[in-house]
Amino acid sequence: MTTTAQSEAPDSECMTRREMVKAGILVGAGVAAAGGAAVVARRAGAAADPTGAGTVRHLTVLNNVKPKHDEDVLLRMQRDLVKAMAKPVEQRRWIMVIDTRKCVGCHACTIACIAENHLPPGVVYRPVVTEEFGEFPNVQLRFTPRPCMQCDSPPCVPVCPVHATWKRPDGIVAIDYDKCIGCRYCIAACPYGARTSDFGEQYTDDVAKGCPEGRDAAMVGPKAPWMDQPSHEYGKAWIRKDHQSPMGNARKCHFCLHRLEVGQLPQCSTTCIGRANYFGDANDPDSLVTELITKNNVQTLLPHKGTKPRVFYIV
Amino acid sequence: MTTLATSPSKPSPMTAPAATGKKFWTRVLWLLWAACLGLGAIGIYQRIAYGHMPAGYGSYVPWGLWIAIYFHGVGIAGGAFAVASLGYILNLQGFRHPAALRAAIVLAFASMIPALIAVWLDLGHMARATNILTSPSFTSMMAFNAWMYNAFMLIAAVCWLISYRRRSSGWLRPLLCLGVLIAVVFPSQSGAFFGVVDAKPYWHSALMPIMFLASAITAGAAMLLLIRGIIGIDSPAGLGDSDPSVFTVALSRLRKVVLAGLVVYFLLEFAEFSIVMWNTQTHAPALDLILLGPYWWVFWIVHLCIGGVLPLALLLTQRPRLWIVAGLLVAVTFISTRLNVLVPGQAVGEIKGLQEAFSHPRLSYTYHATTMEYLVGLFLVGVGMTIYFVGRRISKLVAARAA
Repeated sequence: MTTTAQSEAPDSECMTRREMVKAGILVGAGVAAAGGAAVVARRAGAAADPTGAGTVRHLTVLNNVKPKHDEDVLLRMQRDLVKAMAKPVEQRRWIMVIDTRKCVGCHACTIACIAENHLPPGVVYRPVVTEEFGEFPNVQLRFTPRPCMQCDSPPCVPVCPVHATWKRPDGIVAIDYDKCIGCRYCIAACPYGARTSDFGEQYTDDVAKGCPEGRDAAMVGPKAPWMDQPSHEYGKAWIRKDHQSPMGNARKCHFCLHRLEVGQLPQCSTTCIGRANYFGDANDPDSLVTELITKNNVQTLLPHKGTKPRVFYIV
Repeated sequence: MTTLATSPSKPSPMTAPAATGKKFWTRVLWLLWAACLGLGAIGIYQRIAYGHMPAGYGSYVPWGLWIAIYFHGVGIAGGAFAVASLGYILNLQGFRHPAALRAAIVLAFASMIPALIAVWLDLGHMARATNILTSPSFTSMMAFNAWMYNAFMLIAAVCWLISYRRRSSGWLRPLLCLGVLIAVVFPSQSGAFFGVVDAKPYWHSALMPIMFLASAITAGAAMLLLIRGIIGIDSPAGLGDSDPSVFTVALSRLRKVVLAGLVVYFLLEFAEFSIVMWNTQTHAPALDLILLGPYWWVFWIVHLCIGGVLPLALLLTQRPRLWIVAGLLVAVTFISTRLNVLVPGQAVGEIKGLQEAFSHPRLSYTYHATTMEYLVGLFLVGVGMTIYFVGRRISKLVAARAA
């Protein structure tokens, strides 16, 4: 070593044995802490959603309408829903069944969902994917509505860094809009593209541009109080203004959880003009959805991903 | 800068960077700093005033340029710290002076903080960013990363402080060992951040963490080479970079690290690509986008030519000045490695026809960074430069007081 090198090194000795022991302890403790945190997080139970008798709902919907043998499937699903809500939440197993043979691609479910949940531009819970097969004149169209699959093994849940999304006891994957930080990791993790981000756009953002002044001026802001009407996702009132949630959040279909609680079917099922969209409790052996998935050839989307979806397609 | 000797077989020793050419580089850096912050301020204003509206990302490509900057920044921080700390721990010439260590620590902060600002600006709810520390879910690689960054900055700050002690308490090197572990872990976790996402076939590879680590070490060493080559380290006369031979040895060691890093990274990249090329059913669409898509030039020109072949050629010469140029090229262009993982991975959907099912600009699998995103990127570079210069000034003042 040259003189220069020595002078460069005021503390030139290599690590002493004492330093090595300290380093070993520090590194060992660091590895143990990180490993411990990962193991504890993996073993932690589901979110503490209320369960048991407190979640039972004795709904009076259709009490005065007698069941008929050939009644509309909507009425049957409604009765199934009332029956399921009379059980504790952990005993319900909500599923959706979509009969692709009946779907005509009218997009009524998409629009109804937007209206129900007050979805802004760029946010969609239930698009209908259209696929075309063959060549003219032998052409076939297939329509595949794509709600959130409410997977039993949801890839969106473990990636959330702040416990803002979780699997409820009834199987619905919920989002806590007040916790979500808007990192969009869950959006990237969903193979179905079922989550979209609310970037804060409004349908009325550009509405006043180029509009005449005076009597014909576009009504925005305080003049348009309907813009402040809340949506009721997850049973809370959400008003989209001042960058409050759900603006800035990841959003997705939740099987209209807020409607289920008051005995109403998801809006998409109610709106379907072809009765192609079914909803109910798969834990009820007598429910319509159980009958449909056991008697028909059903498939799920991207089964190879191992997400165990709760949306079944009759093909 | 003046070359003192011109031996064809050995690298020619250079004078300390502070001695010659200082005025020129100082002016260049001041100009760059002012331009970055001035233009960047426009981007920051747009981000604050209009939120995410002027940004180009959406729901099908949820992450864009800022996330690439974030991963590049944390990679440089980890790489620079790991290389300099290992040099100090192993008592290597050119790295054994505490001033060299402090320069790397300041550089790590100057890379890490803008990177964290980048990801903070990307959040939908910036005010809730601390939730990731107060109520983390460690099943998420993002929460793990956030904690690692904080642990790293804490350890780096403590190392910086105790490095001023004339006779260290015996804790500096052990703490550096822990710091090196974390500095190696979090760039790898950046790769795992993508690797765990089964929804994106191009990301879902066990090679991702190793590739991210290799690029972090390469870019970190390259940035250290650039910083030490242009600015040098602040140390008393006769020590550190004011000694030409020590300075050249330091640059030479960094050059070897960058060279090795480049070779390893391109080898790993070839390994990843070769699987796709000979098994086109997996994630070929993403590879097509990288190699032949609208941003083909990012891979072929920015990454491969300017960030790979040219620096390799420059580093293989015996002229330290060219190594510094190579350091600049690698440190800047290696952001393309992040972009080429980030964007093509997201730009291929699993469900065909989803983009056409509902029309909106934010429901598209194409992504083009907007002016606002680029301007914010410039602002982050300006912030990094500010942190480096302020950190360096503080280091100087504390050193003078300690002496």
